[in-house]
Amino acid sequence: MSSAATFKRLLALPPAVRRSFYSTAVSSSEPEIYDVVCVGGGPVGLSFVSALHSHHSTRHLRIALIDSQDLTAPHLDSPGGTYSNRCSSLTPAAVRFMKSIGVWEKIDQPRIQPYHAMDVWDGVSGSKIHFDQQQGAGLIDALAEMVPGNRFQASRRKYEAGEMVVATMCENRNLTGALLKRIEELKDERSSSTLNMLAKTKVDSIALGAEAADESSPDFSQWPILSTSSGQNFAARLLVGADGANSPVRRFADIPSPGWDYNQHGVVATLNLDRDLNASELRTAYQRFLPTGPVALLPLPGKKASLVWSTSPAHATALKALAPEEFTAAVNAAFRLMPVDINHMLSASSDSTPTSELSWREPATPPTSTGLPTNFPRIQSLQQGSLASFPLRLRHASTYTGHRVALIGDAAHTIHPLAGQGLNLGLADSEALAKQLVYGVEHGMDIGSSWCLDGYNSERWAKNNAVLGVVDKLEKIYSAGSGPVVWGRSAGVEVLERLGWVKGLISGAAAGRG
Amino acid sequence: MASRDAILRLPVALRQSVVTSRPSLASLAPSSPCSSSPRPYATETTHATPESSVNHDEVSHFNAMASDWWDPHGSSRLLHLMNPLRHQFIRRCLAPDGLDPDRKMRYLDIGCGGGIFAESAARMRNVESVTAIDPTPEVLAVAKKHRRTDPLLLEPGRLTYLQTSIEGLQTPSDKQYDVISLFEVIEHIQRPNPFLQSILKQLKPGGWLIGSTIARTPVSWFTTKFVAEDILRMVPRGTHDWNQYIQPQEMRDWARGQKELNTSDGVGWHVMGVVYVPGFGWKEVKGSEAWGNYFFAVKKREGAV
Repeated sequence: MSSAATFKRLLALPPAVRRSFYSTAVSSSEPEIYDVVCVGGGPVGLSFVSALHSHHSTRHLRIALIDSQDLTAPHLDSPGGTYSNRCSSLTPAAVRFMKSIGVWEKIDQPRIQPYHAMDVWDGVSGSKIHFDQQQGAGLIDALAEMVPGNRFQASRRKYEAGEMVVATMCENRNLTGALLKRIEELKDERSSSTLNMLAKTKVDSIALGAEAADESSPDFSQWPILSTSSGQNFAARLLVGADGANSPVRRFADIPSPGWDYNQHGVVATLNLDRDLNASELRTAYQRFLPTGPVALLPLPGKKASLVWSTSPAHATALKALAPEEFTAAVNAAFRLMPVDINHMLSASSDSTPTSELSWREPATPPTSTGLPTNFPRIQSLQQGSLASFPLRLRHASTYTGHRVALIGDAAHTIHPLAGQGLNLGLADSEALAKQLVYGVEHGMDIGSSWCLDGYNSERWAKNNAVLGVVDKLEKIYSAGSGPVVWGRSAGVEVLERLGWVKGLISGAAAGRG
Repeated sequence: MASRDAILRLPVALRQSVVTSRPSLASLAPSSPCSSSPRPYATETTHATPESSVNHDEVSHFNAMASDWWDPHGSSRLLHLMNPLRHQFIRRCLAPDGLDPDRKMRYLDIGCGGGIFAESAARMRNVESVTAIDPTPEVLAVAKKHRRTDPLLLEPGRLTYLQTSIEGLQTPSDKQYDVISLFEVIEHIQRPNPFLQSILKQLKPGGWLIGSTIARTPVSWFTTKFVAEDILRMVPRGTHDWNQYIQPQEMRDWARGQKELNTSDGVGWHVMGVVYVPGFGWKEVKGSEAWGNYFFAVKKREGAV
């Protein structure tokens, strides 16, 4: 190289950079530069960093995950013991994502419960809809069996092999534990892991960086700088908010999140049933629509089940005040009695207990009049200490991305949190954002720029908005061609309209299979 | 059918740079949208000129647009959207040689403009260094300013901007480049032959010259001149001279005339036609190189000097 060109090239180099950022001695006040800083170590944030660290194109990224809680795998009871009341109904798409990043094999398998069908009925009219993965079973199935080698038989075999599940019930802490184990494994695979897990660390503030000191220094004026309770500061090429419904990251990015509060509370509990089912049996989830909100019974292993009862705040308060055996009677009543009797049972002026109400009303209420499925189990008892309730609300951020910011999970959207779809949507966000960053890295993008992040926002925002919206649910149910749905449709819009919540569940599950 | 295609096709965005000789008679030729006559000087051999290929009129044109290179909604948006395809095309060219993850390559980006491609190349894991040159001082100032927003790019030697023409670039023989990129530049060159030959001197044996440009057809006149400049005003008027657009066959004919280049299909020569579809972005469309935007790549023989 000629001396003139050498000189020119040297002039073009920024010597200040070496001094201030690439020297080994970084003073504590200087922010450490990270490619990704993820705030929030729930299942969504953990799945996001696992996905990044599992992919060869993003494995080298310098990642920090910050959470104010402990980040060690939670203790799980032995099978047959107690179950957490915080469970999620994972769609096949969510399970596929967990398998693809090596997390599913770390799940405590005896504690999860796939279910293969869903019985839904309307508390007012008694109209029933049954969903399973053999849509059109019955007459069509019988006809199909007359045609050798047809696809229905293949799908039947798949069904019998246990692949055709509607969803899989999984305790959130089981999933969290699997994710943490997988992250440990990924960190151990390489001697110098670029993933930094910061547990019990609070984010004290997030602010934009300072203007550059001179013409050749880096300009952090558009970079989020986080200061933490550990005294470390982080400059984030991309700041990811997986920090829940009240997301500080979303507030920093000044992204509005409009929505409304339902005047409803979700009552959750772990229940014991009268029947002990073994793992190979096909399981059904049940949901009944009452004027006060849906009540659902979702299967857990053995004789356990998870209750999700959305109801008025007054009823929620009344339910939580009941003695365990009275609560058990109230749940049995919620699935079996007429809505008017349930309201009376839970009203403040009622002088009878749920047990007495159930014992004299039930014989007078034939199952055919309420639509009660014939195989519906009887709830025997409440698992001690598992009763809790939460207010229900809907929020949707107006965008999921900003300059050097992306939102995933509840930070981006809060839906009926007990529908189980919240976590499924969050995992789908996490998968989509990780995929977008792979694309960005493979094409030399600055992964914090809108050129990279736009793809994530356009992929997820509209999809989530559709799941959140009623129009899409109607569209989906009306585009279905299966027997039971068509039958339900023929009963009129009125019936289907009341089933909005379950349609969300179903369309979410259907989308996950696409 | 043709008019429907024309509407689907979107204008090519702005040039990243202008590296051209002084205006010649060619630019005074009547601009006809209806004939695709052979481009003057496109394939003929001319004497290499020792002077700089920088056209000062064009330089001032790009000065005026310098401010919005990095505006996500500015006039360079289509170039940003095209950038991933450039990497995909480069990968396609390099793939037969085996992508050795430990092999780090040296890139030269000619007509780097605000640094859209140069920055992205400098972030790639298989790139050792990127030298990016442009004759326009204002766009280089934009490029250098934007480089400071990413500390990675400030690592010594990773990305070097130089204000120079290709003729002025001094490269010792042991520092030749593995990949020389020429994106949206060649159509601004009135005498491509001497220009391309000075580029070949900088290319390592076995290395690739990779570029993109626009075919000279009624379709490209309609979309890039009439629609983009006059109707939608997506790009400033005068950004393109349609007469200087170049056909893929003309590029290939030129390459065949250079004995140091390998031009056999899929081994030393690649071409890829791309179309901008509103709402979807740039897409590869087989055969579209004949009438619109396209990428080309040609490989220097291993034994060449």
